Amino acid sequence: MSTSGSAAEPVIEIRNLTKVYRDFWGRRKVRAVNSLSLDVKKGEVFGLLGPNGSGKTTTIKMLLGLLFPTEGEISILGRPATDVAKNERIGYLPEESYLYRFLTAEETLDFYGRLFDMPASVRKERTEKLLSLVKITHARKRQLKEYSKGMTRRIGLAQALINDPDLVLLDEPTSGLDPLGNRDMKDLILQLKEQGKTVLMCSHLLADVQDVCDRIAILYGGELKVLGRVDELLKSRDETQILTSKLSDDAINEVRAVLQKHGASLNQIDHPTSNLEDLFLKTVQESVERPGHRVIMDDTTRSRGA
Amino acid sequence: MDFEPTPYNIPLGFLYWLIVTGFGTIVVLVVTLLALLITRGTKGFGDFLNLLSSAALDIVQISPRRVGAITRLTFLEAIRRRALLVFVVFAILFMFAGWFLSGGTLVPDFQVKLYVSFVLRAIAWLVLPVALLLSCWGIPEDIKQRSLHTVVTKPVRRLEVVLGRMLGFGLINTLVLLVMAVAGYVWLQQQIDEKARPELTCRRPVFGQLTFLDREGKPAATGINVGDIWEYRSYIEGATRARAIWKFAGIDESALNKDGELILENRFSAFRSHKGQMGRSLLYQLVFVNPETGLRVGTQLRQVAEFRGRTDAIPRTLPKAGEAIGGKITEEAGETVDLINDLVSPSGELVVEAVCIDPGQYMGMARPDLFIRTPDGSFLAGYAKSILGLAMMVLLIVFLGVAASTFLKGPVATLLTFCLVLVGMTAREFMMTIVSGRFEGGGPIESVYRIVLHMNPTQELPTGIAFQSMHLMDLAIRQFVWLIFQIIPNFDYFNMAPYLANGFDVSFNASVLPSIAVTLAFFLPCLLLGYFCLRVRELEAK
Repeated sequence: MSTSGSAAEPVIEIRNLTKVYRDFWGRRKVRAVNSLSLDVKKGEVFGLLGPNGSGKTTTIKMLLGLLFPTEGEISILGRPATDVAKNERIGYLPEESYLYRFLTAEETLDFYGRLFDMPASVRKERTEKLLSLVKITHARKRQLKEYSKGMTRRIGLAQALINDPDLVLLDEPTSGLDPLGNRDMKDLILQLKEQGKTVLMCSHLLADVQDVCDRIAILYGGELKVLGRVDELLKSRDETQILTSKLSDDAINEVRAVLQKHGASLNQIDHPTSNLEDLFLKTVQESVERPGHRVIMDDTTRSRGA
Repeated sequence: MDFEPTPYNIPLGFLYWLIVTGFGTIVVLVVTLLALLITRGTKGFGDFLNLLSSAALDIVQISPRRVGAITRLTFLEAIRRRALLVFVVFAILFMFAGWFLSGGTLVPDFQVKLYVSFVLRAIAWLVLPVALLLSCWGIPEDIKQRSLHTVVTKPVRRLEVVLGRMLGFGLINTLVLLVMAVAGYVWLQQQIDEKARPELTCRRPVFGQLTFLDREGKPAATGINVGDIWEYRSYIEGATRARAIWKFAGIDESALNKDGELILENRFSAFRSHKGQMGRSLLYQLVFVNPETGLRVGTQLRQVAEFRGRTDAIPRTLPKAGEAIGGKITEEAGETVDLINDLVSPSGELVVEAVCIDPGQYMGMARPDLFIRTPDGSFLAGYAKSILGLAMMVLLIVFLGVAASTFLKGPVATLLTFCLVLVGMTAREFMMTIVSGRFEGGGPIESVYRIVLHMNPTQELPTGIAFQSMHLMDLAIRQFVWLIFQIIPNFDYFNMAPYLANGFDVSFNASVLPSIAVTLAFFLPCLLLGYFCLRVRELEAK
């Protein structure tokens, strides 16, 4: 997995973003996002994680101008979130594929192509390419209401890519997909990354995030709790991992002796590992027990653990 | 009913359009500013200024292709969601309508009136709910289903969404209307009896100014009231010097029919003070007078066709006859006059006097009861103009519905638009009474005061600050009603069915043009209102 350097140009800049939902009378109902600051760099796959109600989708919707921030600033591709022109370079796959169910797959892509002011020939070409990419060419003439959930996700993804976007926002991209579809989706995300596109995704499927994301942020209660590179965050810092070629039993015994001589013990022959799910659950638990606690291991973000 | 078409004053209409548009724009801006201040607090004002500048940009950068895409989507949506099921209702209605209309037993003109009214009303009342429901539910459903999310996250301006929706719903409703109109026309042609077919026409009347002479031949403002409570018609006494005098303007050869005759149609009524002569109706004579030369030519005596219209074909060349005296007409042997050259003045004026011949009997008339019937127009053309009027009404409902749906949920938007339509159709006269202040018992607060104290409306109110305040509050309420009165469109403009049903042409200048102007006048404010509401609205907010 390639890395994105800290010097890379930020595609999304979020500063002190706060969203407070109010009722009809203007009374505060809930603070969905609280003073969120983060950057997403060009060419990286960034994962936004958090339990239900943590503010992930609210953040994405503020990025897209569907919701207005109560406080804070958003710059997306160098423009304010409410600037319609920014959408020329953005693709968005919503949490559910909120598409027009009375249209066929072909009509759907043609419709979204028209919204980008594409000429008919370009629309046709893009439609063919995307139908083939998401593997629903066989069902191109069927109305979306006849589609399974997985197929709807696929056509949803196709519409998000109709304009060959520089920035792709994916809200729960693998939800509803079967394992094959899941693999395809992850491959596609990596393919987008290889093409130099920036991907911001939020998901509950932590293994998927771990597979494709360069960096992640974990939100809890609308606040940023963890931000950093996935490999850095998952590293176990109390232990040393030495990767060698396959060792014989004698060699292992000799290594053990050497370690004993240096006052260290050989705890495990296997490599020490952690996984994203553990980290996620730990973060949620710590957030309940120690509300002010933060782990920020991101070289581009100055704030560190409280 | 007065069928005289009042020519539409285009400059005045344009001025009214400007007033309505300007007023609508101010309302949009004020509502938007208030909404922003409420939702965004003090930042609202800055947002408002940003909104104005970006709105200008949005208008300039509007893309016909995107608007076309949304229009097409709206059209497909309506069709695939089975909006066209309305045709089934329409078909059922028309399949069985013949059972209940029993046209065969009616006199021809009444049959035509009944059938034409039925067709135009049925179309209007079937299209109205379709227009109302489609336009009021489209955007709220789009927001509820969140399908709008995938649209506004593309480079689509919300102005394009509103405009596309308006055009799409307008298109589908116009299509529905056109199909119904064609079916209605075919149905009329098949259902109306052969003998009533000639009544399917579009008369083009030229109305004159009516004055009277009393029984002694002196000018009078009106004729005699024979005891009717409704003083619509005035009566002239028979065998006296009483006359009903119509002065027509703009008459030339084009007023004659293809046989060179001048067609005069009247609907005089008869009032008898005695039985009169049995077996015939009252007799009357029409006397043509050249207003400049004073040449007078009487025509033959005719009988009043009571309760029905009567058409008199006057040949261009008339025998130079005098007025009937004692029921006899004197005629100068061999001498003739040319109706156009001798009786119409060079400025195109023609005077026609109606004289009641029978002594002791009375003949009644109102201004529209005698008119010159210039060559009839085609019924199809009149029908098409009536349908065009309905199309304008449907478009207006769509504009109002779409605008309402950008800030209200579907049911509430439907209710609001329906109320606007209902008030615009039925309550404008009542509102006008309130606005004008010409009602007994004072304004609303004064009325309540009088009701509570059991005060007669004519009783003088005491003076004092409290009563002055009450009058001021009534004045404020009147001004508020005036504002509402201006916002609510006048739906009377769109109802052209009475003209066609009564066999009259639908005047383009007097009827079609105002209906187009009203629809256009509301288009821009509705578009801007919808745009601003959708722009300041958080689409995700529940």
